[in-house]
Amino acid sequence: MAQQTTTGAGGPMNVIGRRGPNIDAIERVTGRAKYTGDIDLPGMLVARVLRSPHAHARIVSIDTSKAEAVPGVRAVITHRDAPKVMIWGSRQYALNDRARYQGDAVAALAAVDADTAERAIKLITVQYEVLPFVLDPEEALKAGAPQLFDDGNLEGPARILTRGNIEQGLKESDKVIERMYHCPTMWSGGMEPRACVAQWEGDRLTMWASTQSPFRVHASLAAMFNVPDSNVRIIASYIGGGFGTKSAPHTDESLAALLARKARLPVKLQYSREEEILDSNTRFETRMYVRIGVKNDMSLHALEVKAYINQGAYHTRLGGLGNQATHVYKTPHVRTEQFRVHTNIPNTGPTRGVGDPQETFGIESAMDEIAAEMGWDPMAFRLKNIKRTGDPIARGGAGTEDGRLVTQALDRCIEEGAAKIDWSRRNRVAGSEKGSKARGIGIACTERGGGGGLGGASVKVNLDGSAMVFYSSTDIGTGSRTTLAMIAAETLGMPLSMFRSVSGDTEIAPYDGGSQGNRTLQGTGRAVEAAARECLQQILAAAGPLLDNTAPGDLEMRDALIRVKAQPARTVKLAEVMQRRGRSAVGIGNTTMPQTGVDVERTTAAHFVEVEVDRETGKIQILRYIAAHDVGRPVNVTIVENQIEGGTIQGLALTQGEEMRFDARTGGCLTASFVDLKPPTMLDFDPRVIEAVIVPNEGSVGPYGAKGLGENPCHPGMAAVANAIYNAIGVRLREVPFTRGIILRALSA
Amino acid sequence: MARDDDKAERASVSRRAFLKGGAAATGALSASLIPTVPAEAQLPDATDTDPRRSLVELRVNGVRYRQQVPNRTTLLQFLREDLKLTGTKMGCDRAQCGACTVILNGRNVYSCTALAVETSGGEVLTIEGLAADDALHPIQQAFVEHSGFQCGFCTSGQIMTTKALLDRLPNPTEDEARGALSGNLCRCSAYKKILESVMAASRVTRA
Repeated sequence: MAQQTTTGAGGPMNVIGRRGPNIDAIERVTGRAKYTGDIDLPGMLVARVLRSPHAHARIVSIDTSKAEAVPGVRAVITHRDAPKVMIWGSRQYALNDRARYQGDAVAALAAVDADTAERAIKLITVQYEVLPFVLDPEEALKAGAPQLFDDGNLEGPARILTRGNIEQGLKESDKVIERMYHCPTMWSGGMEPRACVAQWEGDRLTMWASTQSPFRVHASLAAMFNVPDSNVRIIASYIGGGFGTKSAPHTDESLAALLARKARLPVKLQYSREEEILDSNTRFETRMYVRIGVKNDMSLHALEVKAYINQGAYHTRLGGLGNQATHVYKTPHVRTEQFRVHTNIPNTGPTRGVGDPQETFGIESAMDEIAAEMGWDPMAFRLKNIKRTGDPIARGGAGTEDGRLVTQALDRCIEEGAAKIDWSRRNRVAGSEKGSKARGIGIACTERGGGGGLGGASVKVNLDGSAMVFYSSTDIGTGSRTTLAMIAAETLGMPLSMFRSVSGDTEIAPYDGGSQGNRTLQGTGRAVEAAARECLQQILAAAGPLLDNTAPGDLEMRDALIRVKAQPARTVKLAEVMQRRGRSAVGIGNTTMPQTGVDVERTTAAHFVEVEVDRETGKIQILRYIAAHDVGRPVNVTIVENQIEGGTIQGLALTQGEEMRFDARTGGCLTASFVDLKPPTMLDFDPRVIEAVIVPNEGSVGPYGAKGLGENPCHPGMAAVANAIYNAIGVRLREVPFTRGIILRALSA
Repeated sequence: MARDDDKAERASVSRRAFLKGGAAATGALSASLIPTVPAEAQLPDATDTDPRRSLVELRVNGVRYRQQVPNRTTLLQFLREDLKLTGTKMGCDRAQCGACTVILNGRNVYSCTALAVETSGGEVLTIEGLAADDALHPIQQAFVEHSGFQCGFCTSGQIMTTKALLDRLPNPTEDEARGALSGNLCRCSAYKKILESVMAASRVTRA
């Protein structure tokens, strides 16, 4: 770790703000990190799931007798075994008497080994009453469409965010354009196929699960099995990627727990890659009808987004569009209306950025389109209209702008990004560059909350002076074990090397909201900071008697050395204090985000991309990509860069593939493999052309001014690339992915 | 499980293959000697004449193993389930992601699509066998220092592919490294830091 010290409002920092390796890096590079699929318990059974071959069918009968008769099969379950408690209060039981998509779980069994389980699962016979199905969200809302639920295909009432009066705003505008933008259902899973291991001891359940949100799974299973919270333990230690797909409790956990209870043996359920793709709460299809109006003075006057979200078969209780329409620009008249519609495709859910990448694609494309219509520089148009520090903003996301924006740095993200890419090089007239290859530059802006919510953690300093951080949130690759330990180390005045973090365990750590939505760094981080302060007080109190009874308030710790503030030469070592004290120092943090009156803090980014489009082959090459982000104060610069670089490539990936396509005749997924989905390799996007720019800033509510950032890098890619393609060849793409075929067709039109 | 009794081999285990991982890895090995499956799935002994099973003799991380396995057992299953070497990951089981990459007879292979029986007689290096004595292998060290991972699930495969690359081509260009690693997906897309790690490792290993 570089020996540099950063300085902030709180004084010089010893740990925060540095570059450096993750504290669990050695586990991850030696194969010693135990992921859920690596768990091996004595007597553990292997589970397999029987899935529906029909997109929509009622289960008339299930005969499991042949499967049960196979030697080695220990438990078989169908919808008859599933408690009538929805998974986390959602739309589905562990198993349902109806299949709502091709691949929906119908039955499951556990056997002594995988071969036996796979042989037996084929012997379950199901009689289906095949029902008509619907795949398109707008079709599903029409009269006479097949209905997935008794209360129809609409998930709850339309969600509406509004301020001003959209019709009046459009009427007052000097120019209005109306466009449709479309993002298909896209796969968003991680490298680790979903996995869990369930073990019952009497009526106590221990579950190892690959989840981002252990306490959500905890709550879901306690409710399903009607046991107190104290009888459930969820352990989610190493997670092979989450990206939102593991943020809600899922079918697999319920199935494994049911099988383990019935078999009275531990059960492991690990999905195959195909199952992972079909049953993983993937990114939802979004069809957006956008109306945008401007005045001749370059002000954005009205913005309307009407979105049809293809929710798929069920509902995780999470998801939908974000606040792009209301929070990025000072638009006086805004309205977003979202319809979350059930169809017979796999379940969808929140994935990196939730609906923000889709919403950013719609709005930032429309911004570019109207700027082009008006002959404005699209960056100047944005700079004129973005919200800046001090601007009013709605605290609740919509309605009256009753809050005030603080620590906003979108203006500087745009300015620094523009300087890096050299915005002046862009084509003045889109598509004016002749020849077989044309270059263009595009911009897209985005925002999101920086995290927060209920945080829980504890910090323990051991008798030898080493320390631990315990939290129930997870490190899904986001580096939270490291950043949270850095917060504790900074607060206590100890080197990071003395820390170890234990994550994802609901039995040893307080309640916490889990790792999603940018929230861990601020939400859990504040709890860690509070817990560390409590530890520090105990340590300083114990050190007083060793330093001539100096009052704790007159002591401080630096580099694990307690010293008298006024006489820094008078010191005692932390280890000595702890030995004398004879018991651990323990602090517990249970925090909410502070109420700061009308202050609202957001985290923002501006992405700039230069592309080269080959007019003859349709190939799009990313020549340079600048991702300028406000992350507040970066806790670990290396981790922040890694998140921005990786998230940017994930955003770019949405432009080239990852589309889940469904067969109109059967409803089946046609792209349930890596070969079909084409997640990017190191050759698809040259990682060297991506540059993460961390705009210097300091937040007001997070620990040490930090803001969460994991979601944001994934938001702007689709819009930035579409805008750059337009600048290069004058062709506007309103549907992702931007395949070569689509480019060539558009060029020849 | 029939294990070679050669004392030198055993010594090499404690010294070399399972060092840092020490307790965990050695524990996993002994645990694999305890039958954890019911009698009906018990592995037969070496005199098994069932044509659906074959004898696999493999040297893994310097240790010789002899075992009867079902013919359909993949090398990945053999490593993870029989030898309990779980550092090698299953990402797709279809040779499409590279998470299961190991080095077989000096070449990086997808262990999910090699049958254990067809590798018999060969020499396998997995992530668990890479570090020597108390020190990380320079490639592992480079991945630590340059944070060449996020979630870590693909990391074993990335590192084993890098090992095969640098053995073959000690001084690769960045484009050669990108090409060599293009069979290893990283869903977190930590590709920039992975590439930096590979190039940093090449500077150390060729020195």
